[in-house]
Amino acid sequence: MLGFLVGEAFRDLRRAGRVAVSAVVLITLSLGALGGFWLVSSNIGRAVAKWHDQVRIVVYLKREPSACDAAALLERVRAMPGVAGVVFIGKADALRSLKQVLGKDAGVVDQLPANPLPASLEVTPSATAATPDGARDLLTRLAVLPETDEVAGGGDWVERLAHWQRLLATIGLGVGAVLAVAAILTVTTATTLILHARRHETEIMRLVGASELTIRLPVLLQGMLQGLAGAVLALGALVITHSVVA
Amino acid sequence: MIELHRVSKVYSVGPVKVPALREVSFRINKGEFVVLTGPSGAGKTTLLRLLYRDDLPSEGDVEVLGANLVGLGRSQVAALRRSIGVVFQDSKLLPVRTVYENVAFVLRVLGTPRREITARAFDALRAVGLSARAQAYPAQLSQGEAQRAALARAIVRRPPLLLADEPTGNLDEAMAAEIVAVLKDIGAGGTTIVLATHQARLAATLRRRTLTLGGGRVMKDEG
Ligand SMILES: Nc1ncnc2c1ncn2[C@@H]1O[C@H](COP(=O)(O)OP(=O)(O)OP(=O)(O)O)[C@@H](O)[C@H]1O
Ligand SMILES: [Mg+2]
Repeated sequence: MLGFLVGEAFRDLRRAGRVAVSAVVLITLSLGALGGFWLVSSNIGRAVAKWHDQVRIVVYLKREPSACDAAALLERVRAMPGVAGVVFIGKADALRSLKQVLGKDAGVVDQLPANPLPASLEVTPSATAATPDGARDLLTRLAVLPETDEVAGGGDWVERLAHWQRLLATIGLGVGAVLAVAAILTVTTATTLILHARRHETEIMRLVGASELTIRLPVLLQGMLQGLAGAVLALGALVITHSVVA
Repeated sequence: MIELHRVSKVYSVGPVKVPALREVSFRINKGEFVVLTGPSGAGKTTLLRLLYRDDLPSEGDVEVLGANLVGLGRSQVAALRRSIGVVFQDSKLLPVRTVYENVAFVLRVLGTPRREITARAFDALRAVGLSARAQAYPAQLSQGEAQRAALARAIVRRPPLLLADEPTGNLDEAMAAEIVAVLKDIGAGGTTIVLATHQARLAATLRRRTLTLGGGRVMKDEG
């Protein structure tokens, strides 16, 4: 019986011919678009999360605070929401790391009349500040400190990346939705065509007393076969693309 | 087996009412071979369609195989039809399937075990003398062969009741006689048969109980 039902479903698909093929292609495209954009967007999301650990916000200070002021400032910053850690880097520390970066050209620094580098705080945002909104809040809070000269780093590229992620997800959803509508219309057309081609079979089935299930299952099955074929093809395409890109 | 009580059927075609059967009452016992005759438009097909619940009477009661057909649910209708073989006036052979596939289709649709299908389909084809044409498509058949294929499909499940609507329509006398011989064979096996034909001469040569319809009424019930 199952063999008969599946056989009838395949027979119907053959009868629907090119329309059934278009339906499968459109299902493939819509699922592929949704899946592809979702993959890219979730990869970017993962990158954002991963890189977030390495994000440092640097707060340049107006002047070098005294040791006791510095400690108080650290205390205040650490108490802010969205701050995981904070390190104070004095003018001298900054100069030292600059020399390290310059290596054998470090001699240039000694020619300077005064240390031009400002003291700064290196702030590591916590997970709550990982969202673009959270990062922006943190940046504003740091910027309004009376000691702050300028806030740099971190925030904007995360935000840009997150912005891209949102854009890609939206495009993917949009393209996928349009293709999905096209796929649904084509499946409907194919099914209508099949119902028409099947009308003699359906009539005979009714007249000899077949159960409603037997009458309807072949049509249902062919629809499911279209969906299955589309899904498998889309999955295959994504896997291949993924392995080519990676 | 079959009992009709004051059955009327009126077709509505838009505002126009077409009376097809008027107050028809009769009874057919198990194992009977009844010829239903009358001129074209007398209501033969309409009457047969009421018997396999393809349509409902406008008035009156139809009882077939112990079931009152008025008010049957969908699955009960299906169950009733599984006990009735029908040769349709327009044969209704599936054009994209061979004669064998047409006959086997009924068995497959009703879930007959696969290993029984071939043997039973060929039994039916042999009974109507069509086993040699099993692989032909309906379009490749002569009218007589097509009628026999339709008959084979109707009897393949050995139903207790066989309704044949003009199974000899458009056939020459020799061909018609062949089909009638097949039907008589089936009847001899205990199957109740109702054969509708507008060919008065054929009805006369059959020498069986004959119900004559005219204008939707039973005019004669003899033999
Ligand atoms: N589906 C229908 N809709 C409207 N009128 C119908 C329908 N079927 C049959 N009729 C009418 O009912 C009457 C009886 O028709 P029916 O087909 O039962 O006659 P019949 O005896 O089988 O004729 P024939 O020998 O030509 O097959 C006719 O007047 C016909 O026009
Ligand atoms: Mg008729």
